[in-house]
Amino acid sequence: MKPAAMVVAGLLVLAGLLTPTILASRWQGAAATRLERAEAEVEDRPAVAVASMTNAEYCTQELRTILRRVLTSCGLIGGGGRGCQPVEARSVATMSGDDFNALFLPMRERGGIVQFAQGEALLEQSDLELVDRVFADRQLASYFFVVSRASPEGNVDTNRDLSRQRAEAVMEHLRSEFHDPELDRQVGLLWLGEEFAQLDPSFCEWSRSDGEGACDPNTLNRSAFIAWIDCEL
Amino acid sequence: MVQAFLRYAGAMLTRILHVLLALAAVAGFLFSAVSTSDFTAHLDRQVHGIHCSFVPGADTPDVSGSSGCHATLMSPYSSVMRDTVWGGIPVSLPSMAVFAYLLVCALAILVLRKPDDPRATGYQWLAWTLPFLTSCVFGYLSLHELDAACKLCIGIYTASTVGFLLAGVTFFAARVAASSRITLGDDLDDLGSAETALDERVVDARTARALPEAETQLERSEIAADQTIDETSKADIELDEPPRRKVRLATASEMDRRIRSVNAGNRRRREESPTSAPDAPTGFGVLALAFVAGLAFVIVPVVAYAAQAPDFERFVGACGTLAHPEDEGHVLVPLGSQTREVTMLEVLDPLCPSCRGFERRFSQHPAAEQVSRRVLLFPLDAECNRMLTTSLHPGACAISEAVLCAEEDADEVLAWAFDHQEEIREAETASAGAARRMASERFPSLRSCIGSANVRAELNRSLRWAVANQLPVLTPQVYVNETRICDEDTDLGLDYVLTRLTSRAGGAR
Repeated sequence: MKPAAMVVAGLLVLAGLLTPTILASRWQGAAATRLERAEAEVEDRPAVAVASMTNAEYCTQELRTILRRVLTSCGLIGGGGRGCQPVEARSVATMSGDDFNALFLPMRERGGIVQFAQGEALLEQSDLELVDRVFADRQLASYFFVVSRASPEGNVDTNRDLSRQRAEAVMEHLRSEFHDPELDRQVGLLWLGEEFAQLDPSFCEWSRSDGEGACDPNTLNRSAFIAWIDCEL
Repeated sequence: MVQAFLRYAGAMLTRILHVLLALAAVAGFLFSAVSTSDFTAHLDRQVHGIHCSFVPGADTPDVSGSSGCHATLMSPYSSVMRDTVWGGIPVSLPSMAVFAYLLVCALAILVLRKPDDPRATGYQWLAWTLPFLTSCVFGYLSLHELDAACKLCIGIYTASTVGFLLAGVTFFAARVAASSRITLGDDLDDLGSAETALDERVVDARTARALPEAETQLERSEIAADQTIDETSKADIELDEPPRRKVRLATASEMDRRIRSVNAGNRRRREESPTSAPDAPTGFGVLALAFVAGLAFVIVPVVAYAAQAPDFERFVGACGTLAHPEDEGHVLVPLGSQTREVTMLEVLDPLCPSCRGFERRFSQHPAAEQVSRRVLLFPLDAECNRMLTTSLHPGACAISEAVLCAEEDADEVLAWAFDHQEEIREAETASAGAARRMASERFPSLRSCIGSANVRAELNRSLRWAVANQLPVLTPQVYVNETRICDEDTDLGLDYVLTRLTSRAGGAR
C-alpha cells in the first residue's frame, strides 16, 4: 500500500470519527443555549390558566356583597347554623322583596322552580327530576340556592314552617342522592314563608316541575326556587 | 482480448458497488443525523416540531405531535440510559456513527485499492449486518409495539437493507474477481518463467566461444560498413549531394538491454491498470484494527454525548405540590394495585392525545409496577368544564362519565377511549351526544349510568378538586407523592424524573 493512500485513509477515519461527535455536541450546545435564554425570559411567558370556579358576567360587586351577607348569615360561610329564616333574609339582604328576586333573574338558565301541593312538603317524581337535573348541571358554580316559599293561604307561622320543610326536603334529597361531602358548604337554604319576596308571575316562564300546568301566584309560591350561582366570592 | 475485457468489467463493477455502498451509508447517516438533531433539540425542555419525511430534513417540522416520527421519538425505544441521562442517549447517535464508519470503510477500500479483496469486502459486509439487524429489530418494534410508521426510521431501515445487500454483492464480486485473478497470476508466472529461461539461454549462448568470435566479426563488418558509408558520404559531398544517413546495427547486448527496458515498462503499466493484480489480501491484523476503529466510532460520540448531557436535577420537584391532596369526595379513580407505597396521580383527559402518549410511555416504564396509580379526570370539554370557552376535546365529558361509571373496570374504558380518541372526537363534533352513544354501545352495562345526574355530579367534583388544588388547565399532569412532575419531563425526561422522585419518596419513608 502506498503511504499517500494510507494517509488519506487515516484522514477519512479521523473525519468519520469526529463528525458525529462534533455534530451531536453542537446540537447539545445549541439546546443548552436556548434553555438558558428561556430560563432568563421565564417572567415574560404567558401564565398558564389555573382551574377556577365560574364567575358569570352578572356577578356584580353589589350582588357579591349581598350574597356574602346572605351566605354568612345562612351559615355557608364561616360555619354556624344551617339556613336562614325570613326575617334574617330580609335584614341581611337590606332590600325589598322585588329587588331580592331580581337578583336571581340572570340565573334563569341555571335554575328551576319545584312546585309543591298545597300544604305539602313532599317531593314528587317530577320534582326530583328537576332537582337532579338542575343540581347535576353545576358546571363550576360555587353555590346552590334553595329558596322556599309558601302561598299566603294559611297563617304566617304555619307557612314559615312549611317553607322550611320544603327547603329541607330538597336538601335531604340532595344529601341522599349525591353523597357530596361539600354539600353543606355549597347549598344555601332560605325559607321565606309568605313574608318576604313572593314570586311574581314573570317566574312562570322558568323551568317548573309542574311543567305546563297552571301558573298563578299561589301555585308559583308553593315552591322551592333552586339555582346555581356562578359567582366566586 | 475477451478475457481482458471481462477482467476490466469485473474490476469496474466492484468499484461502482463501493460507490453505491458509500451513497447508502451517506443516506443512512443523513436520516440518523436528522433524527438525532430532532432529539437533542428537546434538551432545551421546550416543545419542538419533528421532521418526518423520506427526504431527510427537507420538510416542515411537524408540531402536532401526531406523526409516526413523534410517537417513535417519544417512545422508550428512541434512547437508552434514560434513568441516568435526561432523555437518554438517542439510538440515532450510534446509528450516525455506524453509518459514518461504513462510509469510511467504503471510501478506504477504494483509496487503498482493495475493492477486489474478499477479506476487506467480507469484513465490510459483516459490518453492514449491524445496521441491518438493528433495523429489523427496530422495524418490528415500530410496527408492532408502537404502531407508528416513522419516515425517518424507514429511511434508515432502507439504507441499512440496501447497504447490506450491496455489501453482500460486493463481497461475492470480489471473490469472483479474486479467483479469476489467480488464473491470470498463473499465466503471468508462466510467462515470467519463459522469459527467465530465454535470458538464461542468451547468457549461455553469450558465454559460448563461438558467440564472441561472431560478435567480433560482426563488429569488424560494422566498422567496415561505417567506413564505406563515410567514403560514400564524402563522395556525395564532392558531388554536391546530401550525405546519406548513417546506419548502425545494434549489438546483441544492446538488444538485450532494450528488451529488458520494454518488459519493465509493461510490468509497470500492468500494475497501474484497473485490472492489475492486487497486493496481498488484507491482513487479519488490519481487520482487527478496523474493528477497534469501529468500536471507537460508536463509543467516542456516545461518551462525549453523555459527558455533555445537561444536568436537570434542579427541575425535579420544582413544579409545585398538591395543596389539598385529600380525597374526601372519592374523585380519584384507582388504576391497578393500590398497595404500593409510592403514589402517583395522573390528571388526564381520556380524549387528549398527550395523555394517551403519556399512558403508553408510562405503561412500559418499570415504575408502572412500583406505584399506586390514581387518575383525576379533567376533561377539556366545555360541555362540563366551564373553565374553557371552547371544547379542546369534544366528547371528553361523556367518556369521563363512562370511566367513572365503570369503577373497577375504569382502565378498560380508558384503554378503549385512548384507542379511539380521534374517532370519538370527530363523531362528537359532527353530532352532539355521539360520544355518549358510542360509550354506551361499547359498554352496554354502563348505559344507564352515563349521563345520569349522579355521575355528572361526580365528574363535577373532580373538576372542583382541580380547583381546590389550583391545578393548571392542561393535561396530562403527573404527581408523584403529591409532587408535580414538570410538563417538560413527562415525555423524554420521564424516566429520569420518575427514578429520582420514586427514590426520594422511598428514601423519605
